[in-house]
Amino acid sequence: MSVEKLTLDKRLGLNKYEIDSESHIEVREELCRECETKVCLYVCPAEVYKLEDDKLVYSYEDCLECGTCVIACRGGGRGAITWKNPRGGFGIVYRYG
Amino acid sequence: MVDIIVCAKYAWDVAEIKIDPSGKPVLEGVPRRISDIDKNAMEAAVNLKEKHGGTIKALCFGPASAKDGLKELLAMGADEAYVVEDPSGGMLDTAATVEALAAAIQKMGSFDLILCGEATTDGYTGQVGPRLAGKLGIPQVTYARSLSLEDGSVVAERDLEDAYITVKVSMPALVSVTREINVPRIPSLMAILKASKKPMTTWKLEDLGLSKEKLEEVSTLKTVKLEGFAVERKRLIIKEKPVEEAVQELVSNLLKEKVLGV
Amino acid sequence: MAEEKFDVIVVGAGPAGSTAAYMLAKEGLSVLLVERGRQAGAKNMTGGIIYSRIVHEVFPRFWEEAPVERAITSYNIVFLNGRSALTLNFKCPRFADPPYNAFSVLRAKFDQWMAGKAEEAGAMIVTGATVDDLVMEDGKVKGIRSGGDEIFADVVIDAEGAKSLLVEKAGLRGDFNPADVSVGVKEVVELPEEVIDERFAVGKGEGAAFTLIGGLQGVVGGGFLYTNKSSLSLGIVARIDSLMEKKVKVHELIEDYKMHPYISRLIEGGSIVEYSAAILHERGLRQVPKLYTDGFLVTGSAACLLINNLFTLRGMDLAVASGAAAAKAVLRAKQKGDFSASTLSAYESFLRENFVLTDMETFSRVPDLMDNRRVFTVYPELLCLLMESLFSVHPAPTMKAFRRLRELMKGRVGLFEALGDLFKVYRAL
Repeated sequence: MSVEKLTLDKRLGLNKYEIDSESHIEVREELCRECETKVCLYVCPAEVYKLEDDKLVYSYEDCLECGTCVIACRGGGRGAITWKNPRGGFGIVYRYG
Repeated sequence: MVDIIVCAKYAWDVAEIKIDPSGKPVLEGVPRRISDIDKNAMEAAVNLKEKHGGTIKALCFGPASAKDGLKELLAMGADEAYVVEDPSGGMLDTAATVEALAAAIQKMGSFDLILCGEATTDGYTGQVGPRLAGKLGIPQVTYARSLSLEDGSVVAERDLEDAYITVKVSMPALVSVTREINVPRIPSLMAILKASKKPMTTWKLEDLGLSKEKLEEVSTLKTVKLEGFAVERKRLIIKEKPVEEAVQELVSNLLKEKVLGV
Repeated sequence: MAEEKFDVIVVGAGPAGSTAAYMLAKEGLSVLLVERGRQAGAKNMTGGIIYSRIVHEVFPRFWEEAPVERAITSYNIVFLNGRSALTLNFKCPRFADPPYNAFSVLRAKFDQWMAGKAEEAGAMIVTGATVDDLVMEDGKVKGIRSGGDEIFADVVIDAEGAKSLLVEKAGLRGDFNPADVSVGVKEVVELPEEVIDERFAVGKGEGAAFTLIGGLQGVVGGGFLYTNKSSLSLGIVARIDSLMEKKVKVHELIEDYKMHPYISRLIEGGSIVEYSAAILHERGLRQVPKLYTDGFLVTGSAACLLINNLFTLRGMDLAVASGAAAAKAVLRAKQKGDFSASTLSAYESFLRENFVLTDMETFSRVPDLMDNRRVFTVYPELLCLLMESLFSVHPAPTMKAFRRLRELMKGRVGLFEALGDLFKVYRAL
């Protein structure tokens, strides 16, 4: 028996989410476009933020609600990300925590 | 004015059920919640009440802890809630459930309309609504995707998958609704606070002239075997392709797996 | 709409919030405890272990009823380099007796228990409701806003956790600096109880805790591993600025980390059942915001109350202690009928008396020690190499230990630099 790495998709697939139809994350595109560092791409533990054809896309459904993105974006990017708590009961539901 | 009873199940959260090594589903410690489609029924009730006035009572046959779930329905807009305690731990069949619900409804007094979800998210038999209508001797409309009141009658559009059919029925009646009928509201903090002051009644079977033995007698459907089986997800991710190609690939895979059929 | 007013509104049903709500409800105040998760604990994640003595003060003999996992009797500090590990193990059977020292916990269950205590004491708990903002009048906090609803209280206790969005809205903090905050990611790995007992050489109900230093590809941070009843909590804590600078993805970092032979052997055969993340404020006392204003108190992680002494991370016990201190301050304010900042300032004095701020003061130099990358890279590597060289025998002339060390230090760190660092460690701890 050996230990195997698990892809992020698989790990996120183990979690329980109550997915809201509304996003709790907003990205101001005009600020994001000018950002050269795009630190959000590295720091988010759920890789919510991705580049597609040079445009930032985000899958708020995967969010673990840690808050790292906003700190990195304000501290090393352009402050384009706004993060608020998902509406009541929605988002990640930790079964272990 | 319309007086509505919404029947709801405090269902197992099926996403939380694990299968033990011997293949048995482990129900111990699995959280429960009001079955999703019953919330659609509650939302439909609230919409009718907002338009026509009246009252809404929520009713559940389930464990004593169902009170926690019913709080959510009170917060959504029910005026009062009733729990009939199920001493069997959820092991009775739909006939027994209907026996208990019908007895409770008789005790609750007059009503115009009973609403329920088309099926529950755990058992998914879809039988309780129709059986209950039969037991109470009132007309029923199943799979309603829209609902309105017109001069003392219920007008509902039924979803028959390949067709919609609009029917009109006089009240009192029972209507079971589909998920598509609405989007259940998320109760506001104030609504939740108010709900805590609304009346909640708990009845034992004996309060309704019933008993565990009596229900077991009615409950002819016996569970012979309870077995879990794991469905391996395909985990196919189509990435880094132009949209047209990706869609093409997805569709051809779905056809291959017979998820889509022609 | 009729106005709803409580004596106290507590935001967040974690250890800080539930403690405050419990203590205040017990004294007969009307308390509203608002939690955004579907149930208490649903949004919360810890390493983690909770040190028991302070919890015992608020909830006597809590271990008899609370869902704790294991009483930690084996403490390990592990230095890692790429291929080997040096472990310092401390076993203390006395920690298996009441009042114990620390328990591993899983928050989904533990927080529900504590919120239940608050409810039993008479607090009104509302779950699944998000507090979006504070209601302010002339700079004073008057209540909370949730969706379109406003609910009022004499005092709002903020126990919302590390993201502390309300603290920002109250104007008590500015932006966080990525060099002050770490992100912790964790995997819960299920293993049979007996396997854990055997693998970690602990008695029934007892458990082990590991603090791991090094082996994180030069990223500032460390690792942890705790034994739960039938699972392990394995994770890493990485400073956000360091991830930004190195462009390392933290979710890949933890997978690489798992492949280290020392770690992979501990988790072998287990299956991952959850992947979680949370931020930690590691700058210590300097990061603590203003803790009170008119009608408002900040507790727990929302107040950046965290102690890192390099070998242990303490957060939950400080949360409980701060929740208790906040409750005391509110009770005093209630007696005086005055909820202004000057009366509520007693909270800060209570936090000094009850050790929270004094302990943070004691270890206030540690965060700066963390800025020194050698702590995470050079020294763990050196220690492991030194051990490797001490234990391996070759058919060649050998050297005395100190000479070997000097040899190994060459090109890695200068002697005076190393002595200077050693002195800093001494001063910090």
